[in-house]
Amino acid sequence: MTAKQGYTVVGKAIPVKDAKEKVCGTIKYPVDFELPGMLYGKIIRSTEAHARIKSIDTSKAEKVPGYVGVVTHEDAPDLDWHGVWFNYVGHIFDGIARFNGDEIGAVAATSKRAAEESLRLIVVEYEPLPAVFDEDEALLPDAPQVQAAGNAREPNVYEWGDLEAGKKAADHSVSADVKFGSQQMAPMGRNAAIAEWSGDDRVTLYTGTQSPSELRDGVAQAFGVSQSKVRVVGMPLGASFGEFWSNNFMMVACLLAKKMRRPVKIELTNAECMAHVKRRHNEHCRAGMGCTKDGEITFIDVYHIMDNGGYGFKVEVGYFNIDNWGARARSGRYECQGVSTNLVTGGCMRGVGDITMGSIVERMADQLAEKCGIDPVEFRIRNQIKPGDPLRQTWGKTLMRGDQEDWEKLMRRSGREAPKELLDNLPRLFHLSSGSSEGILRKGAEAFAWKDKFLGWGKPYKAVGPKRYAVGVGTGIHLCGEEMEGNTDAVVRIMKDGSAKLYCSVGRHGTSADTTQAQIAAETLGIPIERIEVETGDTDSCPWSRGSLASTTLFRTGFKTWAACLDARRQLLELAAQEFFVPSNPSKLDIKDGLIFSKDPACALGRGCGPSDKHVSISDVMTHMRADALGPTDSITGRPAFPMPPSSAFSRHFAAQFCEVEVDVETGQIRLVDFLVAQDSGTVINPKVFAGQIVGGAIVGAGFALSELLHFDDKGAVINANLSDYKVLRMTDWPSASTKTLWEEDPDPVGPFGARSAGEAPIAAAPVAIQQAVYNAAGVWVDLPMTPEKVLDAIKKAEGRDTARSTIIDRVPVSTPTSAS
Amino acid sequence: MTSLNVNGRVHELEIEPHQTLAEVLRDKLGLIGVRVSCGEGECGSCTVLVDGRPTTSCLTLALQVEGKEVMTIEGLGNEDDLHPIQQAFIDEQGFQCGVCTPGIIMSSKALLDADPHPTTEKVTAALSGHICRCGAYPEIVRSVLHAADLMGGDCDC
Repeated sequence: MTAKQGYTVVGKAIPVKDAKEKVCGTIKYPVDFELPGMLYGKIIRSTEAHARIKSIDTSKAEKVPGYVGVVTHEDAPDLDWHGVWFNYVGHIFDGIARFNGDEIGAVAATSKRAAEESLRLIVVEYEPLPAVFDEDEALLPDAPQVQAAGNAREPNVYEWGDLEAGKKAADHSVSADVKFGSQQMAPMGRNAAIAEWSGDDRVTLYTGTQSPSELRDGVAQAFGVSQSKVRVVGMPLGASFGEFWSNNFMMVACLLAKKMRRPVKIELTNAECMAHVKRRHNEHCRAGMGCTKDGEITFIDVYHIMDNGGYGFKVEVGYFNIDNWGARARSGRYECQGVSTNLVTGGCMRGVGDITMGSIVERMADQLAEKCGIDPVEFRIRNQIKPGDPLRQTWGKTLMRGDQEDWEKLMRRSGREAPKELLDNLPRLFHLSSGSSEGILRKGAEAFAWKDKFLGWGKPYKAVGPKRYAVGVGTGIHLCGEEMEGNTDAVVRIMKDGSAKLYCSVGRHGTSADTTQAQIAAETLGIPIERIEVETGDTDSCPWSRGSLASTTLFRTGFKTWAACLDARRQLLELAAQEFFVPSNPSKLDIKDGLIFSKDPACALGRGCGPSDKHVSISDVMTHMRADALGPTDSITGRPAFPMPPSSAFSRHFAAQFCEVEVDVETGQIRLVDFLVAQDSGTVINPKVFAGQIVGGAIVGAGFALSELLHFDDKGAVINANLSDYKVLRMTDWPSASTKTLWEEDPDPVGPFGARSAGEAPIAAAPVAIQQAVYNAAGVWVDLPMTPEKVLDAIKKAEGRDTARSTIIDRVPVSTPTSAS
Repeated sequence: MTSLNVNGRVHELEIEPHQTLAEVLRDKLGLIGVRVSCGEGECGSCTVLVDGRPTTSCLTLALQVEGKEVMTIEGLGNEDDLHPIQQAFIDEQGFQCGVCTPGIIMSSKALLDADPHPTTEKVTAALSGHICRCGAYPEIVRSVLHAADLMGGDCDC
């Protein structure tokens, strides 16, 4: 895995920028951050799943030494605020609790202990309301309504081809009806929000967030102040996986600080992080799929419901398997519907939809492959999307003005300063631009010795006592950022000494986006990476950006970083040409290691211009007395000078994973024996960061496959909000010694240096590979998470039915909620 | 007043009986490298060494370690003088978000002190009390094995 040919720093596994701080324990997370005069806040949380707040009695709390005050719905502005991508829509407090643990007030005190003690003594009187916890029940006509807008969001539908004809043409068809429980992000290191108001309604909020800009907008909206008055300082945070975008506890900290007229810090406990902030949706997937006897898919029909909990308003999970499997399928229909329930807010967790709906579609594909007698690797290669194939997820079509040709004309007009190479290779919209699962499936199968271990469907390759050994393969896909919910931006400033600072609003939750963005900047500017610093969190200096979600960062923010650096580079070279080179022709110049030189002997450095007759340093150019200004330049700011093509309309990233499992058919225990993690994300900017992302994704996906499940009691309260009872994978659960990685780098015509994104597809592939391996080992399909009880149960059922190998319910897929079981 | 020996220095501190070692190290001594996540001894991120043994400081009362030697990540090395284990974690990128890292490095130190040439299985077992939610397990194992190489197996550091 060496650096790409011709690149200085792109493709190099340089240590990440904050590596020393992380291994020395000096990096500051929000919990480590304090302000002078700061108070400590605790959130008053509802103990009812659905209730009107009748009263909040603080008389006992007021006697606690150090108690300062409370805020409740009576203090909260009567304004809605909207979280990123409809993951939260609601007031800070509005006098109604919509889930067990919902924020209904907050208390401030002079110490953490006093705040905890005050909270304990606050008495809340509720008027309980009927509650609903199940996504199917929430759709029934007489269900308690969680939101004023009702429980059901408008269904979202994608269709292509003639579905009825597709069903008729199928020689084989299968179906599935599966309810998924919630995965919890189970973040490490907690999170805190520290808010401070000053002067004329200005507020600063320090917190761990993946999306500082969108959080800033949320605060402005919640308090009815202009966005220019709000400053969010996004800080490093622990593994977040979508939990910390813009959350209501951050708004509560702002409200408490406003009323107390002092800075306030609210630090969440681990239990609060796991029970009261966010989780993956509960989902119900009913689907059918069919193919000809030769294995050509004739239809895919999916009806999917997702439970948004109390405050989520999402209308769809990201169902990108629609592109992977749908591109070559004759017909298809995908319908998804968001539903409100009285559970903790459900939202986008890493690989949203991919890991749930995607795993159902892959499982049905596997069952069809078995019926056709086709190997799962081969079945995927035959049926999955290839570059140039149509995308089925076509959000942007309604916004198009004219056709492809019109769009290209617009791009060329507004993108005059874009490199010719980009304008000459504009992607065909609503078709895949680059990459696929094919290369990584072929290479992965070879590296994994797939053919030696896959002996056919439902056949272990080895048995030792009660232990069965078999292999499985799974694929995953996700988009590379999306443009309609908000764009990205970046700015770069060249300093007088030739160093540079990049400003791009991204998250610092372990993905090392600051490092990969710096690599893109360094490569574009020709400035050594050590001389480039990146500001990611401060909305007062960073331009608005989507943040790090929906696999946006490397592809979309990276594009803007590249574009901003091209602009700065152009300015630098024009200036150098004007002042130093004869003849003055910037197109003949280049920059390397911070030195500007001529690529053409016909364009030479003017005499007496600097210490060298070959090159001039950036700092010499910056501080040189210009002939036109009679003074130095001192400052260059680079901004993207051309728009980014709409990435959701052409780019995807692909994962393929191979695993070997050991299944003990007497205990139901599954052990991971071997794992190969493969990916096609275009050009890899930093191989170590990339490997970490794809293997880490596989491990969190494997956790969902094997053990991770949030449990609720009959009052809708999470009962395993701790790391003892919520089982994430540990070091001993993962085959570290045998883990292998490989990747294909089919370059994207738009992405920076040909890169696409990386983070979300890998989480989806792992459960599929493991589930299939378990089927091959034990002859049963087991729903996720495949706990020993469920494995044993499935084995017993299958034995009881003699001929039946599968637990799949064989019935016609339904497409209306009224048929819900 | 209680005397606590932390990172080779003796501190005279007023400690209340209920205060955990993690609270005292973080809040009174400013040692923020002691990361508290679960607060119940499950995740290992708050691990420090007490007389050389990995100890979850969130479950240990500060008064329990009086007369013992406490070592945190801050006592192991710093940005200008990295310990070989810290260097190894940088070389192999044995971390992502960095929350679990100091605790894992401290447990690795205890392991390598006891066994300078551990096998992969021993590393995995020694670190089984730690959760890395980012899923950097293979890189963490490689980091510890690399640290063993860097330390040459006979380094008294």
